[in-house]
Amino acid sequence: MQDYKTEFPFDITLSEEQQITWDMLRKFAETELRPQARKTEAEGMPSQELLKKIKSLDLIPLIIPEEYGGMGLKQDSVSSALALEALAYGDLSLAMSISIPLLTAQIIAEHGSEEQKGKLLPEFVAGSIFQVGLGINNALISTDSYQSSVTAKELGEEIILDGSKAGVAFANDAKSFLISASNESGECGLYFVNKDQEGLELEEKEFMGLKGTPFSQINFSNCKISCSQKLGGHNYSINYQSLLDSSRIGMSALALGVCQAVLDYVVPYTNERVAFDEPISNRQSVAFLIADMAIETEALRLMVYKSAALKDLDEDFHKQASLTYRFATHHGMKIGTDGVQLLGGHGYTHEHPVELWYRNLRAIGIFEGGAGV
Amino acid sequence: MIHPLLPNQLQKTQETMRMAAEFILRPISRKYDKAEHEPPLEMEQLNQAAAAQKKQTGVTDDSVKSMDLGGRNLWAVISLEQMCWGDVGLFLARPGTGLGNAAIMAVGNAEQKTKWGKRWAAMAITEPGAGSDSKNISTSAVLDGDEWIIDGEKIYVTDGDRCDCVVVWATLNKNMGKTAIRSFLVEKGTPGFSVARLEKKLGIRASDTATLIFDNCRIPRENLLGGKEEIETDANAAKKSFGGAMQTFDNTRPMVAGMAIGLGQAALDMTRALLAEEGYEDNFGASIHQQTAVQRELEMLEAELEAARLLVYKSAWMMDNKIPNSKEASMGKAKAGRIGNKISLKCVEICSIQGFSEDHLLEKFSRDSKILDIFEGTQQIQQLIVARQVLGKSSRDLK
Repeated sequence: MQDYKTEFPFDITLSEEQQITWDMLRKFAETELRPQARKTEAEGMPSQELLKKIKSLDLIPLIIPEEYGGMGLKQDSVSSALALEALAYGDLSLAMSISIPLLTAQIIAEHGSEEQKGKLLPEFVAGSIFQVGLGINNALISTDSYQSSVTAKELGEEIILDGSKAGVAFANDAKSFLISASNESGECGLYFVNKDQEGLELEEKEFMGLKGTPFSQINFSNCKISCSQKLGGHNYSINYQSLLDSSRIGMSALALGVCQAVLDYVVPYTNERVAFDEPISNRQSVAFLIADMAIETEALRLMVYKSAALKDLDEDFHKQASLTYRFATHHGMKIGTDGVQLLGGHGYTHEHPVELWYRNLRAIGIFEGGAGV
Repeated sequence: MIHPLLPNQLQKTQETMRMAAEFILRPISRKYDKAEHEPPLEMEQLNQAAAAQKKQTGVTDDSVKSMDLGGRNLWAVISLEQMCWGDVGLFLARPGTGLGNAAIMAVGNAEQKTKWGKRWAAMAITEPGAGSDSKNISTSAVLDGDEWIIDGEKIYVTDGDRCDCVVVWATLNKNMGKTAIRSFLVEKGTPGFSVARLEKKLGIRASDTATLIFDNCRIPRENLLGGKEEIETDANAAKKSFGGAMQTFDNTRPMVAGMAIGLGQAALDMTRALLAEEGYEDNFGASIHQQTAVQRELEMLEAELEAARLLVYKSAWMMDNKIPNSKEASMGKAKAGRIGNKISLKCVEICSIQGFSEDHLLEKFSRDSKILDIFEGTQQIQQLIVARQVLGKSSRDLK
């Protein structure tokens, strides 16, 4: 049974504005991102030229309030999800090189104190999109998702951080980090830490996928910061669960874009690839895998839309976001592995992108805080 | 606007139908599961509740306003979902409407719709030698003066015993394949038409499943649904003609898929209620390290069910908005049938000896659910339809 209020009818039609943005971003993904995916992965980060093009999409200034130099357009969650899906269709790493700073700017714009916003947001507008590194992913395997593997011990005006955060993107470009930490009363909050802070150490890490984005681990050891470095100010309390849930919808939207890419790749391949004198897609064992891929991709799309729409209504979206993320994690990986399977030995090599998508899709369910809606 | 959510008014429909399911169907679920072949008289009450709800929401057959209220088909899907949360077998045994009614509305002409639209019509397609390949049926219809003579045997006809009339698929000329297939309305009591036997089944025992025999059965010429007597020889027109008949399925598949969603939800709800008595609580969104195996299992099943539900709602919404939905209807049916069955069987396992026991309805749900993965097109037929559309293949290429 439902527990939200809305007068609008059931509908799955893009608004004119959403359609225009979608067409533009999808084209960008196909012509700019997809062709650069292998090169970006080999080099470990996007080229300066490509970054410039990504920045020129103006996705970040769009959501920053006018008083900080942005365009101040309040983006609804459904539109954000659509944008993420369209970009990830090109390449997940490259999509995340924009979705991560975008999420960081969103968090600061929504939760930052006047001082924090005044200092940081104009920098985002000016193009320093990696100035704040976001540290949400936990370094320990079994930490509660809604808690942090970094502890924050509050001692009067001082906060002492201990522990590690993993998967912090573009840490080399960052001047400061915004990291999550759990305090002694079990609340998880976000804290700014300057890069040159004593007790902070960076370690570059490589992963099986998302290789086009440089990632680092941050280790804190008796790292002392001032209580004013808490996001929103000393007494500000953030709904961390809601923040993470929103990011999980974003990650699911990214997964959706990759799943659609896999589907659109295996259809022409299996129609053209001949074995036993006919296209392999004439066989049910192949065709049914593709049918299921199409079914689950469409289902994931509707799950993402519904979660985002619920958030836009200001209704409780925790359960819906959780279900969507579980669905994206499970079926994303299934579609990734079936994509390689359908191409057989060819799919296992770098001649085709399916092995890249396979590796990248494994990040879904593991990487949190990589995209917001 | 992307808004895959139900407006308040439809949520009210859900609540009302859920109440009806809970207070009218559930108390008699076990009784009619045991007493197979006994018509459940209490079902008249449910019909009254549905009619009152329909009137209240303003959704009537004549005023189909697709964009408000989500339209008539979405309304029907969510109503069915809730009634089947109560009991699928009893829902199918509800007097008044059968699958034949959908066929009359889809292919009948205006006169036929008026004449038979409100009668209780079953649908007879399957034969001992033709199931999923419905174009291969052998039941024949031969015009003799102003009457059609129907001859043949139909099996697995839901409501076949208790209905007022049956929509029968028959061929005008077996050698001409699907082009020659037409549907005919045969009234109960017509000489030459008899119910040969009733099946004993794994589940949905409250619903009657009949074998019908047509032996030199004569019906009026105007009982040919759609009225098209000539056989198309042009290949394209022929394809279109059978496509029209198959379109009935695009309309009924979202309904049957909705039934599977309701059953799946019922199994999950009952499982949670039983587990709660032993201290269970959900833990949505927690990492796998914070969840028990059961919490994780139930979360995944819930996610699968919700995904299937949205596919089904979308296919109904497309119907309401006159968007061709053949692919989406099959997507929803494939997923919902599969997942409804999976959930109900898993729930029996999770609830262990209590799940397996007739003290509760979980074991019944797991028996009832299997048919939803079979009738109105098996999961595999749905996959075939989806695959052909996604891959752009004909039924000759992808068999």
